[in-house]
Amino acid sequence: MGTISAAFSIMTQALDADQAALNVVANNVANANTPGYTTEAPNFQQNQPLEIGGTSYGDGVTETGATSVRDRVLTERLNQQQQLASSTGAQLTALNTVQALFTPDSGSSSATAGDISSDLTGFFNSFSSLEANPANNSLREEVLSSASTLASDVSNAAASLNSQRSALDQEASGVTSQVNSLTGAIAQLDQQIQSTSPDADAGTLEDQRQQDLSQLSQLIGINQITTENNGISVTTTSGQPLVSEGQSFQLTTGTVNGVTHFFVGGADITAQMASGGGQLGGYLTARDQDIPNVLGSLDQLANSVSTQVNALNNAGTDLAGDNGNAGDIFFQPAQVAGSAASMRVVMTDPNHIAAAGAGQGTGDNSNATAMAALGNQMIVNGQSPTDYFANLVSQLGATVSNVQTENTAANASVTQLQTQSNALSAVNLNDEASAMSTFERSYQAASQVFTMLNTLMASVLNLGEQSTVS
Amino acid sequence: MRELNLTREDLEIREVLAEASRALATLDATRLEELAMACQALNRVGETHAGTDADPLNRRNDRKLARQAREAVGDMRAFGRVLDATRANLSVMRRLRQIRAGHIEYSEAQARGWASSEPGYGDN
Repeated sequence: MGTISAAFSIMTQALDADQAALNVVANNVANANTPGYTTEAPNFQQNQPLEIGGTSYGDGVTETGATSVRDRVLTERLNQQQQLASSTGAQLTALNTVQALFTPDSGSSSATAGDISSDLTGFFNSFSSLEANPANNSLREEVLSSASTLASDVSNAAASLNSQRSALDQEASGVTSQVNSLTGAIAQLDQQIQSTSPDADAGTLEDQRQQDLSQLSQLIGINQITTENNGISVTTTSGQPLVSEGQSFQLTTGTVNGVTHFFVGGADITAQMASGGGQLGGYLTARDQDIPNVLGSLDQLANSVSTQVNALNNAGTDLAGDNGNAGDIFFQPAQVAGSAASMRVVMTDPNHIAAAGAGQGTGDNSNATAMAALGNQMIVNGQSPTDYFANLVSQLGATVSNVQTENTAANASVTQLQTQSNALSAVNLNDEASAMSTFERSYQAASQVFTMLNTLMASVLNLGEQSTVS
Repeated sequence: MRELNLTREDLEIREVLAEASRALATLDATRLEELAMACQALNRVGETHAGTDADPLNRRNDRKLARQAREAVGDMRAFGRVLDATRANLSVMRRLRQIRAGHIEYSEAQARGWASSEPGYGDN
């Protein structure tokens, strides 16, 4: 059975609940433009009904706090796609720089990797010219000059690639401090969340933790696992812990074979980080796979051309009559690796170009003919030098195109998920206006009931008292 | 609605595909339908005088279209990947729709609130 005082109590609670709900709406409106803020919804909970004589009587409402409107599945998917977008973005930037290096520099006299194809043609054509007049000094000078242009462009290309690799190494290394700073902050927030809000969404603290996780996802590939008491564990995509039970584990670096490697707890996770995602994944993929592939192909080209040309020159007869001992035109590399960087012309005297065949007189041109023919022979991994270089450029273009495609798709996916996330979690002022109006009406209604109860109570208190009007 | 501006003369298939990828990224169904209709119209034009038309202007346009289609291979691949990513996102989006419809609880507190409001006073 209800009493007037019970009704007073119920309406007081209703006013409190509506007031609290209006505060939640006010906080949402105030944070409408706050980056990372997740809109909150007030929680109303019906109080336990009173049982009197077998009949249940309602006992009002309590506002039990606000819940952030978020979906962890969506957030996690967004973070994953962000990792992919950041990784392909960083890789694409690096690859575009490499590709620009191999763009032909038409009409310019400057030495560029893009001119290597025409350099190869020019070098072998210079032997064709020498065939016509093997003793001509200016034609011999022309052979050395075109050899020098070719060697210069190849070695400059290798130097540029190595320089880009070093720059990527520095970029990758720079990510470490940001990662450690974020994992430290996440671990600290995790401790706070677990101690203050173990059973429910932690609101602002949770927003901060999500923001840090989002930033971390842009830097490296991570997995996050929800643990008990509203905590999370963060690992690399290969499973090394970065945050666990409120404790962060530092990502450290060390130099291995001249490049920066990454460690967690003493384990070298560089290869896993490369495939893991995030900016670091993109930098490492470009540093350890894309650029070494291009550099390896360039080394193969330089090594084959140098070796074949030197061998043929040493097999002929030079203008001084040296038979089978004319010397090398190019520096002879000891191994394939590093051949491009070390490519240079070592012959200074054009008279040592062996245009004549072995045992032939100096007027003979058979060796010059053989050297010119090298340009069309399959001397580099079963391909002619120009075809091999064309394939190198073509493969690089295909790689750039693939990464571009992946990046476009990943960015589109991020846009889709971000739009959904905003629709769910960002403050919608129209919704807030509607909610405010609802709570305001509810407050007014409760207030009206309160006034009526007050009047009723006054009437009850006056019952039995003598009226002034008889 | 934005103007399509896809006349026969200035049509570029790559632009259509890039626009389609953008529209898919923002889940702009209206724009995607517009682009689909533009592509259907393009197909009809191609089928009308495919290989048999003697009009030099049409033949030139056909050649232009074929060249554009070849050039658009990369953009088509990108559009395909955006489509794949969208498919993968759909399950998350379905879940969101359910959340908005109130079918999935956000938190234990809310679940407790719902549970306590089920039977009791006023229930008929």
